[in-house]
Amino acid sequence: MQAAAVAEVVEFPDAGALEAFEDARAVEAAARGDRRAFERLYRRHVGRVHALCLRLSGHRETAEDCVQEAFVNAWRALPTFQARSRFSTWLHRIAVNTVLSRHRGLAARLESTAGDDPAVLDRRTVEDAPPLDLEAAIAALPDGARHVLVLAGVYGFSHDEVSTELGIAVGTSKAQLHRARQLLAARLGLTAEGP
Amino acid sequence: MSDHDLSRPRSLDAGLAALPREVAPSRDLWAGIEAELLRAERRPRRWPLALAAGVVLAALGAVVGARLAQQTAPAPTVAAATPAAAALVPARLKLAEDADYLATRSALERTYRERIALLAPVTRARIEEDLVLIQRAHQDIQQALGREPGSRVLLQLLQSTTEQEISLYSTVGRNTEPLASRTRT
Repeated sequence: MQAAAVAEVVEFPDAGALEAFEDARAVEAAARGDRRAFERLYRRHVGRVHALCLRLSGHRETAEDCVQEAFVNAWRALPTFQARSRFSTWLHRIAVNTVLSRHRGLAARLESTAGDDPAVLDRRTVEDAPPLDLEAAIAALPDGARHVLVLAGVYGFSHDEVSTELGIAVGTSKAQLHRARQLLAARLGLTAEGP
Repeated sequence: MSDHDLSRPRSLDAGLAALPREVAPSRDLWAGIEAELLRAERRPRRWPLALAAGVVLAALGAVVGARLAQQTAPAPTVAAATPAAAALVPARLKLAEDADYLATRSALERTYRERIALLAPVTRARIEEDLVLIQRAHQDIQQALGREPGSRVLLQLLQSTTEQEISLYSTVGRNTEPLASRTRT
């Protein structure tokens, strides 16, 4: 029975549950080698994966390369997918790893002071002047601060999860988030509430 | 980077919360992805041994288990795990460093080494080949993790090979119990 037909007779509590159901069916077919099923997954998730890659990398071309690579990696790893987790969550993890794998030596840069040098941000923002919207201001953050802000501040990763994903200490993650928020607030003339 | 323009939200939190969850890429990326999938089908995969090991173990229960059952008295189903084996399946790989885990795993492996000799040469050879395949896959994944230490996919694969190795030991141990009893009496 097709997912659409099932959706007509089964009442799903919300759109998220229906999407999870449709994902599960498509994942099952894709894991058997059905590329059309995998294309449906791509169409459904590409916008969210691209947004994540774009914000993490800060570069449109890099983000699009990462999206392609992430979906290819996901296809290869489908046999290992655990049905008890949501496909979208699993896919996002792969996308994060794909972007971060392009930043070899990221941990060293995060722990060093070079990436945090206010002069670096000043130079970037000057180059990017006039004042930018929030997306552009995020893109102009130093790599370490941007990665933490996107994962923790935008996508709701816990500091433990950020620590694991980025290979940094939890304390470093908290410090980077605080710094990112301060830099953004100052840049955009906003109040930096929150943690 | 994005055409999305926020009109000076009151606070940073409001701005972050208002960011769109979806941003469409500038072009359709599917053609490039599909081309890569087709290319990948024609060349060895990145962790061929790991995936091959998964396939081997999936078949192990049906093929090797059946062979073992033919050689022995009626045995429990292959899929049913022994309490010892169930206790060994690590919820997290940190368990692999736990002393009790290592001791129990060592006992299962010792039983496997003792009992494997009781099997017919063909069956024994195939099971030993499977074990080598799993262990090589495990090493490959560990090396890959050295390069990508935060990779969830690799961690899942590593846990999978750990479980497969233990499953193989326990399956052989369980199914050769009748043969071992006969040699003892």
